[in-house]
Amino acid sequence: MIECKGLKKTFQSENGAFEVVKNIDLKVKENEFLVLFGPGQCGKTTILNMIAGLETPSEGIVTVNGKEVHEPGPERGVVYQTISLFPWLTVMGNVEYGPKVRGIPKEKRRATAQHYIDMVGLQGFEKSFPVQLSGGMKQRAGIARAYANNPIVMLMDEPFGALDAQTRYLMQKELERIWEQEKRTVVFVTNNIEEAVYLADRIVVLANRPTQVKAEYKINLPRPRNYVDPEFLRLRMEITDAVDKTL
Amino acid sequence: MIKSQKEKIQRVLAGLFSIGAFLALWQWAVVSTTLGQLMPGPITVITSFIQAFSVPIGTCTIQQHVGWSLSRVMIAYLVAAVVGIGLGVLMGWNPKIEAIFKPLYDIIRPIPPIAWIPLSIVWFGLGEMTKYFLIFLSAFSNITLNAYEGAKSVDPVLMGASRMLGANRTQTLLTVVLPASMPFIFAGLQVAISTSWATVVAAEMVRSTEGVGWVIVSAQDTNDMNQTLVGILAIGIVGFILATIMRGVETRLCKWNKSE
Amino acid sequence: MESNPKVRVNHLTKKFGDLLVLDDISFDIPEGELLCVVGPTGCGKTTFLNSLTKLYDITSGEILVNNEPVNLKKQNLAYIFQENSTMPWLNVEQNVSFGLDIKKVPEKEKKERVEEFLDIVGLTPFRKYYPSQLSSSMLQRVAIARAFATKPELLLMDEPYGQLDIELRFKLEDELVKLWQKTKTTVFFITHNIEEAVYLGQKIMILTNKPTKVKKVLDNPLPRPRDITSPDFIDLRNQVTDLIKWW
Repeated sequence: MIECKGLKKTFQSENGAFEVVKNIDLKVKENEFLVLFGPGQCGKTTILNMIAGLETPSEGIVTVNGKEVHEPGPERGVVYQTISLFPWLTVMGNVEYGPKVRGIPKEKRRATAQHYIDMVGLQGFEKSFPVQLSGGMKQRAGIARAYANNPIVMLMDEPFGALDAQTRYLMQKELERIWEQEKRTVVFVTNNIEEAVYLADRIVVLANRPTQVKAEYKINLPRPRNYVDPEFLRLRMEITDAVDKTL
Repeated sequence: MIKSQKEKIQRVLAGLFSIGAFLALWQWAVVSTTLGQLMPGPITVITSFIQAFSVPIGTCTIQQHVGWSLSRVMIAYLVAAVVGIGLGVLMGWNPKIEAIFKPLYDIIRPIPPIAWIPLSIVWFGLGEMTKYFLIFLSAFSNITLNAYEGAKSVDPVLMGASRMLGANRTQTLLTVVLPASMPFIFAGLQVAISTSWATVVAAEMVRSTEGVGWVIVSAQDTNDMNQTLVGILAIGIVGFILATIMRGVETRLCKWNKSE
Repeated sequence: MESNPKVRVNHLTKKFGDLLVLDDISFDIPEGELLCVVGPTGCGKTTFLNSLTKLYDITSGEILVNNEPVNLKKQNLAYIFQENSTMPWLNVEQNVSFGLDIKKVPEKEKKERVEEFLDIVGLTPFRKYYPSQLSSSMLQRVAIARAFATKPELLLMDEPYGQLDIELRFKLEDELVKLWQKTKTTVFFITHNIEEAVYLGQKIMILTNKPTKVKKVLDNPLPRPRDITSPDFIDLRNQVTDLIKWW
């Protein structure tokens, strides 16, 4: 479904060029939940942005469903960690934004939006503004908004990073439930090992900047997973050891 | 909450108290010192002000004068708003447009409207057009700058999100850049209404036959201090009302910007 | 109950207008104890901390440190925030010495303490660096060294590792334990992360939802260094998780 071949990304700054992504080859199967895991600032967001079409690779190509990626589009839904909801629109306004700008008639897009608002558990909050929502609720709205465009791929960049530990656990469980309900191919970026092992079908461990693939782990644990299961903990420790230290 | 209502009342009372004290001091000065030879006291001024609602100063009553001034402001202000918001947002959003127009704007902006008076008279004569032009300039400058800042500071994540959701460039401009800039634009509009009001007075003082600026200028000819002060009072009251209205509109429009 | 605890909180109650946030909280902290405090999201932990440090005026009750009412000017309390609190215009060495400068510690002793604590947190090679040149984990270590260096009566820590990558958390938690064991400082550590509370705490205090009360205080006798995969650890972690959920 997603293929990255020889991806490289170099940025220009006042201090000269710096290479963020050295070489990435990646294949993601349809409906696979792939986690990109690595230390902070290692370049995983840049990789995700290249798949999303928000950045262009300096070298290499990204294809999604056989088509080369040049720019962002509704078939590749993105959920960010930071505020990405439009603050001047209500939850409904945000979730139906995609279908609206693509010209879908009101009846149909309202129904679609409502379906996803219900799916993420925000029924009753259709008329609320983002400023009135908690962090977890904002992220749910972001997920609904991306889903409402019927994407074939969901790209999530540390969506739960700004939440406190308990809300984070809750959201991981919610996301799992939502994904099981309407499966999509997911690429999920995180630096939290528990989150990675809880959600992933497969974890790709990235090296420090300039990044490349360091290791891969298939997670075969049955879902929904248990954070204190001995195998879960063992995997956690093993993968944590495999990651580059940043200090 | 009861506490904040109480605080609100206290604030209003405090303001009224200081105004009252000022008026009392003025009245006392007029009655007891030589100030009374130079200018009338507040009671006289307020009385004349109220009279001016039925007895015309020149050809118009005070409310008609205010009406003249306000209408000049409204026309020029609205044109400035449309042009300013348009140009500002486009400059902030599109680097090419910015490269073309910003330098010219930066040169024109610091020139005060008053400096344009001679040129404007040559171009537009002494009639209404000159006044519109001057008011337009004063409003345009602020509105454009704020709209520009607003458009420039739109979170790139929001723009990325709209493109991700399928919006084309024009849609992104209209449905994301414009609403996101509203708080800035509104700040510009608020400043501009005050400067426009100040400019109309100056413009009328140059040449006109009605308006609050004219009220002041014509009083100079007859050395009528009372009339001058009536004019000043009118200017202050209307300016205050305009600012209050703007604040009220902002609270309604930019609700989403305030966290609860 | 100890007759001379380092900290004694008696019937602490805090209301904001009509809203009861802290409800009759009483507890003791013996000298030199590392107490971890956890609670559900939004349970008033921050209000609790602000009341302890008199940033908020309490509605009723008393807080005693060394059997005297808490007094920031007379007593030596240190506070570590979640966000970076290093002074950007001072380098690492100057930051660590900052607290000592304010308390007017004599020059020779000041120098000794700065050396000692820089060494414990491994920042000696970085002593001349400025905050803008350091990563967020290093900045937290500077703040922690600075706090410990003042040999406070009570060290209050509000989720200091909340924003850091997980493997860094473990390293810093170990460092904290080292500092604590060496200086025998009384520490009050607030966290959302249950694993962290079980890893660090000698005792674990669990708060309820608003109006906040102390639900339970658990003893944590596990030997150090603690193993998050050991059955005893998992057992305690589950206990805490269950206590937080049911209120």
